[in-house]
Amino acid sequence: MTSRDDPAPPGSTVFVTGQGTMPVDIAAPADVAAADVEVALESLGQWQLAWRRFKRHRMALFGLAFLAFAVLVAIIGPIVWPYDPLIIPGVSGTNPGGDSPSLAHLMGTDNNGRDVLQMVVNGARISMTIGITSMLIAGFVGITVGTLAGYFGGWVDNVLMRVVDTFFAIPLLFVILVAAAFFGEGKVISLVLIFGLLSWPLIARLIRAQFLSLREVDFVEAARAVGVSDLRIAFRDILPNAIGPIIVAMTLIMANNIILEAFVSYLNFGISADQISWGNALAQSQNYLVFGNWWWAFFPGIAIALTVIAINFIGDGLRDALDPRTRL
Amino acid sequence: MLTYVARRIIQAIPVVFLIAVVSFFLMQQAPGGPQLAFNQNHHITTAQIDSWLKSWCLERDPGVVGTIREFAGWLGVWNCTGGGLLSAHGLPNFLPAALGGGTNGLLHGDFGFSIASGQPVLSEILNRVPATLILMGVSWVIWVTMAILIGVLAAVKRYSVWDQATTFFSYIFYSLPTFWLGLILIFIFGVALRWFPVQGIVDTRAAPAPFATDAYWAALAKDPIPNLFDIGRHLVLPVITLVAVSIAADSRFVRSAMLDSLSQDYVRTARAKGAVERSVIFRHAFRNALLPILTNVALELAFLFSGAIVTETVFTWPGMGRLYFDAVNARDYFLVMGILFIGSILVVIMNLVADVLYAWADPRIRY
Repeated sequence: MTSRDDPAPPGSTVFVTGQGTMPVDIAAPADVAAADVEVALESLGQWQLAWRRFKRHRMALFGLAFLAFAVLVAIIGPIVWPYDPLIIPGVSGTNPGGDSPSLAHLMGTDNNGRDVLQMVVNGARISMTIGITSMLIAGFVGITVGTLAGYFGGWVDNVLMRVVDTFFAIPLLFVILVAAAFFGEGKVISLVLIFGLLSWPLIARLIRAQFLSLREVDFVEAARAVGVSDLRIAFRDILPNAIGPIIVAMTLIMANNIILEAFVSYLNFGISADQISWGNALAQSQNYLVFGNWWWAFFPGIAIALTVIAINFIGDGLRDALDPRTRL
Repeated sequence: MLTYVARRIIQAIPVVFLIAVVSFFLMQQAPGGPQLAFNQNHHITTAQIDSWLKSWCLERDPGVVGTIREFAGWLGVWNCTGGGLLSAHGLPNFLPAALGGGTNGLLHGDFGFSIASGQPVLSEILNRVPATLILMGVSWVIWVTMAILIGVLAAVKRYSVWDQATTFFSYIFYSLPTFWLGLILIFIFGVALRWFPVQGIVDTRAAPAPFATDAYWAALAKDPIPNLFDIGRHLVLPVITLVAVSIAADSRFVRSAMLDSLSQDYVRTARAKGAVERSVIFRHAFRNALLPILTNVALELAFLFSGAIVTETVFTWPGMGRLYFDAVNARDYFLVMGILFIGSILVVIMNLVADVLYAWADPRIRY
């Protein structure tokens, strides 16, 4: 049983073929079902099977579409949308908290008259950069450390796991302050590095756990018997089998780090005010809520929320898709 | 069992020590220091600042050795008033005071003073704990109760509309940034509808005295209903915020624990012998599922003390999260260390309690 149980839709059953379990949907017309089996018998690769399972997860598909859209916005949006985030035109209406949404400013403006839609579009760049890059760093460090600890065990494992324990307890705010001394205050690069370096322990632990169970499996024994080197076994034989939970954990890390950016920017520990991220786009909005300017807080926040929801649904879909025990 | 508990406590000491060392070192590396508070004061001289720092066992620009010395002073191994490793009695400083050791530092039960306020760290913390415990405690009780109800129902009626709806909404709420949810609630219920107050724990104009002072507690004891009502009104929005973002993970956990329990042999046996479904679910399945739920929930208790930085900031709640955040900003070293230290001790203790609880409740586990 997976942690988030298999969502086998009622009405599907399992048809056992020579290459393991092949699912057939009995609710579908018989000829379609037969075609499915034929396709299946052409020996689908692991990734093709995963993609077929993923496609069944409707929310995950929505998530994927939304994330693709958000990345697209992050890339071309700032070029297309005609407002410069660094120009401060001032408020044209009487509301000191900004102008309400209109045709010229679809999402209204902030207290300096800056277009909120422009902040959302520009913020997508920084938030996506932080989310994706820190995820990759966490994945790289976590996979390396977890693989070393899991494969070699013994004192290597002991030392590395104590390092992991300590990393779990490091207070985030200090790390940000210290990094500010090295990189300058509120730099994207420092948040990317910090979030990446604080989130790898999760992956390292996951991989280590996978290794502990896979180390004694027959195909690893076989590889060792024919004289394959330790590192090659670790990276070529064991790691691919552990990749499913890692990819899921990486989506969670990406979602988490996008929220984390918003969180530290809200506390004035994050991205500096001369750059636009989703977090600092709405960081100052609270002071002006009393003037009724909901749009300033609402739109950047909903951008964060939708993106994170999309990523979490993708992760949920991947969890089912990459688990070989899940049936189609 | 006793040996097990003792062993766990001994194992925890190096971990807590390591956390303290790392935190202290990072804190020292952060630019600025408590002396920055004097930047606005043109009348103060460098010599005055230095002697002030010295009285806190701090140095202006400590190198590695200086940082170690400062840490040793905080720990109580180093005697800040001169004498180095030796106390005023000429004996090692880390010994208990009764045996001729020093009196400063953690080893002697002294958390030091808050640099910003001049109050002892412990009294600063005790001042803020009630507000945090009220907020976190109420939220925790609500989210645990709701998570158990939602999770059990979702597991019993697996794949039903209820199950799918709670799955969907738990993902949504889990994905919301806390402060954004708080801002939206403030706008809807505070600004637009004006139903609930949006900041603080009591109405400062109506309250008999500032919150958490002795005068306030006396007034609360004398006249509980309006005062409790006032706190309750202030609690609504932050509690909704905290419950919404915390309930998802717990309800998923309850659901999978319950599903696990429902698929066990003893449930099949209970059904086979003809027990009614209600009894199967509550007496056989749920009571066994309670084990992992209990341990999970016990672990959460440790974090109630530390409060919630963001929620407390959004609603200007006078709690621990806010105290910690302000202390970090002011480089109030001893206050920060005190909060982190008590927090990590509580995590260690609750971890242990969770394990012991598990062993006590599950007869299959023996240490």
